[in-house]
Amino acid sequence: MSTTDTITIEGFTAWLAAFRDRVTEQRSYLTELDSAIGDADHGANMARGMAAVMEKVGASPATTADELFKTVGMTLVTSVGGASGPLYGTFFLRLGMTAGAVAECDAAALSSALRAGLDGVVARGKAEAGDKTMFDAMAPALEAMDAAITSGASLAEATAAARDAAAAGRDATETLVARKGRASYLGERSAGHLDPGATSTALLFDALAEVTAS
Amino acid sequence: MSAAAPRVGIVAVSHSRPLAEAAVALALEMVAGDPPPIAIAAGTADGGTGTDAVRVSEAIVEVGSGGAGVVVLMDLGSAVMSAEMALEFVADPELRVRLVSAPFVEGLLAAVVRAAGGADLDAVAAEALGALRPKSEQLGDAAPVSVDRAVDDAGDRADAPPAPAGDLASTAPPPAIAEAVVRNVAGLHARPAAEIAGLVAQRGVALTLATDAKGPVDATSPIGIAILGAGPGTIVRIAASGAGAAEAVEEVRALIESGFGEELAELDVAPTAPAAPSHPLGVSSGRVVGPVAVMVHAADEPDPAARIPADQRDGAAARLREAMLAVAGEMHETAQTLSGQRRDVLVATAAIAADPALHREAESFLRDEGLTPERAVWVELGRTAVQYRELGGRMAERVTDLVDVRDRIIARLTGVERPGVPERDHPFILVADDLAPVDTVGLDPERCLAIVTEQGGPTSHTAILARELGLPAIVGAAGATAIADGTVVLVDGDTGELIVQPDEGARATATGVITLPPFEGPGETADGHRVVLGANVGAPRDIRRAVERGAEGVGLFRTEFCFLDRTREPSVDDQIAAYREVFAAFPDRRVVVRTLDAGSDKPLPFLTSDDEPNPALGVRGYRTSRRDPEVLDAQLRAIARAADAERADAWVMAPMIATVAEATEFAARARAAGNRTVGVMIETPAAALVADELCAAVDFVSIGTNDLSQYTMAADRMSGELAHLADPWQPAVLRAIRLIGESGARTGTPVGVCGEAAADPALAPVLVGLGVTSLSMAARAITAVGAIVSSATLAQCRAAAEAACAATDPAAARAAAREALAT
Repeated sequence: MSTTDTITIEGFTAWLAAFRDRVTEQRSYLTELDSAIGDADHGANMARGMAAVMEKVGASPATTADELFKTVGMTLVTSVGGASGPLYGTFFLRLGMTAGAVAECDAAALSSALRAGLDGVVARGKAEAGDKTMFDAMAPALEAMDAAITSGASLAEATAAARDAAAAGRDATETLVARKGRASYLGERSAGHLDPGATSTALLFDALAEVTAS
Repeated sequence: MSAAAPRVGIVAVSHSRPLAEAAVALALEMVAGDPPPIAIAAGTADGGTGTDAVRVSEAIVEVGSGGAGVVVLMDLGSAVMSAEMALEFVADPELRVRLVSAPFVEGLLAAVVRAAGGADLDAVAAEALGALRPKSEQLGDAAPVSVDRAVDDAGDRADAPPAPAGDLASTAPPPAIAEAVVRNVAGLHARPAAEIAGLVAQRGVALTLATDAKGPVDATSPIGIAILGAGPGTIVRIAASGAGAAEAVEEVRALIESGFGEELAELDVAPTAPAAPSHPLGVSSGRVVGPVAVMVHAADEPDPAARIPADQRDGAAARLREAMLAVAGEMHETAQTLSGQRRDVLVATAAIAADPALHREAESFLRDEGLTPERAVWVELGRTAVQYRELGGRMAERVTDLVDVRDRIIARLTGVERPGVPERDHPFILVADDLAPVDTVGLDPERCLAIVTEQGGPTSHTAILARELGLPAIVGAAGATAIADGTVVLVDGDTGELIVQPDEGARATATGVITLPPFEGPGETADGHRVVLGANVGAPRDIRRAVERGAEGVGLFRTEFCFLDRTREPSVDDQIAAYREVFAAFPDRRVVVRTLDAGSDKPLPFLTSDDEPNPALGVRGYRTSRRDPEVLDAQLRAIARAADAERADAWVMAPMIATVAEATEFAARARAAGNRTVGVMIETPAAALVADELCAAVDFVSIGTNDLSQYTMAADRMSGELAHLADPWQPAVLRAIRLIGESGARTGTPVGVCGEAAADPALAPVLVGLGVTSLSMAARAITAVGAIVSSATLAQCRAAAEAACAATDPAAARAAAREALAT
């Protein structure tokens, strides 16, 4: 593993910008998914939230990961409105706390920070595998990432594996029956639709893979 | 309560700002005085729909600055997550915050009202948590959350008990009691309840409200008050103790009687006098003196926080083992005195108490965590009960036994009385809040001198049981259970007098249980018209009493006692044994067996459902056999076989018949099972109206006057307040009996009466005059009734009947009958 195989503050900022771009581009698609089984605001909420995040981050650039992600988390909490506010907010807050006051992370450090973020999502949303939530994309992504790191993969290879696993996890939510959030009120009728939260999570890992690609 | 004292703050978290603002405005309408701190965290900053955890945390800090804590109410989805997240943003570790899972609007109203009254954080949170209950009860759902905790808390805080002992407690300062009649059309709904709660909170007095049907409830809890469901005309009993109690009671009485400035109902009742004492009611004759034994309903939960130091755990474990084995031994011993399935059940229950696995688990809680022995038993058997319940079926039926074992062990460890009818080796006066039929199965009339209950009316089970056993009894004695065990009291079942620690002079007035010589039959009028005078038998102990009192057979054999302490249907063999015992006592005499009358006030776990909105009008009596025909068929076979084995003349009848088709169907089934003489009970106006056809379909009919009165008058027989309606002297009830008597005469069908009415010496000649050919009653009444019947001619009885039916009310009917018999 080379010494340049890390993600820096600039890299993190690029990740967030790429995520912002994706949720903005796919805003109507996410909303469409959410209108099938939720309250039709996921695209709008995430686009608004990430726009607010990039504005904050641009206005006062952070020098360490914990500082950066605290800003991200708190901004999402106050600007998203829906359930993805506390969920993504908690994800980034915990991620930053675990990454710590550092300017860059290697693959292992990044993975454990992401894992802390996932734990935060679970603590907040009480979701389990198969509940048709963002957990169903995020958990397989982190498993794939850890597996890749254990077998000696580079950061780029590890995030690519995470991206693919997140996409597969997202696709697998189509057949599931929702057990959390407003989609759960639909019961059986929620099957046959992708989960919007899992879809935006797949975008998050897609963005990460892109900015860490060698 | 000074306005400066910090109060619990309330935060309303919602997706929608307009929704939260409207809900808060509604809650503030309920608060008469100064509202508690309230903050709204709703909607996104740009006015959209959503929640913001940061805003929620700011709101919490804002309303929590007083230091009394904060209750947070949320609507749904992200509101819950944002509220949870907000807790992480609150920096002050001293700030106590409760997120309450109550429905948003109901919870908010309840919390705001309670907080306005100065309640503490636990009480406000509990109030909010219970806020759905009035609506659930109104709509007949199972209550999702109990509000009892809030009541308990209030009781704990106050120095005096929440239900004061009335004029019974001779040592405590005199508590204040009064009654008020609800006058406003809408009754004690949310707003009046809030007004009462606000007033009581300001006075800082432990004050409770109760009606005949419900309570007492803590009057600082608007939900508790609303649960009373007190409509216009309801009498509310107000009780308080401690400093300022009398003033507070009077203020609350005046407030309720004022009608809260709402539209008033037209009531016949005059406003009650200030601070009128509540009146215990004598329901069964006799004046006796004896020591009190209070019946305990369930063990109190042992303190979860208590811990035993490590060096004392060996001793505690030994005490635990000793208590468990002692309970097992004691239950075994009792089992030896019983027979049949009751014995088997007790032996199996004793095995639970001696179970080594239970002991091991409980001991590990004690050793590992330092729990007290009683807490360890509570936790372990609680866990086992949950497992049994989840397993369902037979295991689930054992849960009651587990609870019984648990309570017995805890009672042994803590030295308090175990639940159920107290066991005493000396005579005692039984004091209880109320008695259920199952409680009384084991009641020993040799030991029990009298019965006193807080609840119940003149036709309640307590009253009926007491009259059957010939025990003096008082019902409606508020606060009686607060009398200390062993205190000597005087009970007068005629006047309702209850004197705690009577002096020598008062003691001398006790006359004991009045006994007349046994009846010497046959029963007949002065001119020789035959009237069979039988006894009602409801438990094995009644058999000997009936024989002793000279009963001419049994006019009503209630078979429920074979079933009541069962979770499963008793086997045919067990039933045969029980029925033979009764038949054997009455060779060549008539014994009228009523098939199982389950449901309504006599629920059975294996036969009746407990979620009927209106059990008295529900699946009870013969109706249960539509769902479970095999229970009835097995019983009919058991009766026929028992009758074959004995010399008694066995008649069998079904309760709760409404149609001719039911009677025909029952008769066919009973005869198919081998029963020769088959009849039905007439308890419904429907059956009375088709009495001609019923008489044609069966061999005899028997009138259950308690239920016939209840259904004819549409008045609950358990309600003391409606006792004047559910009265067999009501001309409408008498005319219904006349219809049946006429049908019996036309068709040559015997007509019996086996309700309480048959035991009323004044009513018996009227019943005879209405065409009734047999009367069945509590054994002790037979002598008096027989004497009256033999003193009148049939013509006098008919004249009395005619005069009573023509009267306009029960009092006039009595007077008219008395006059006709005198001439």
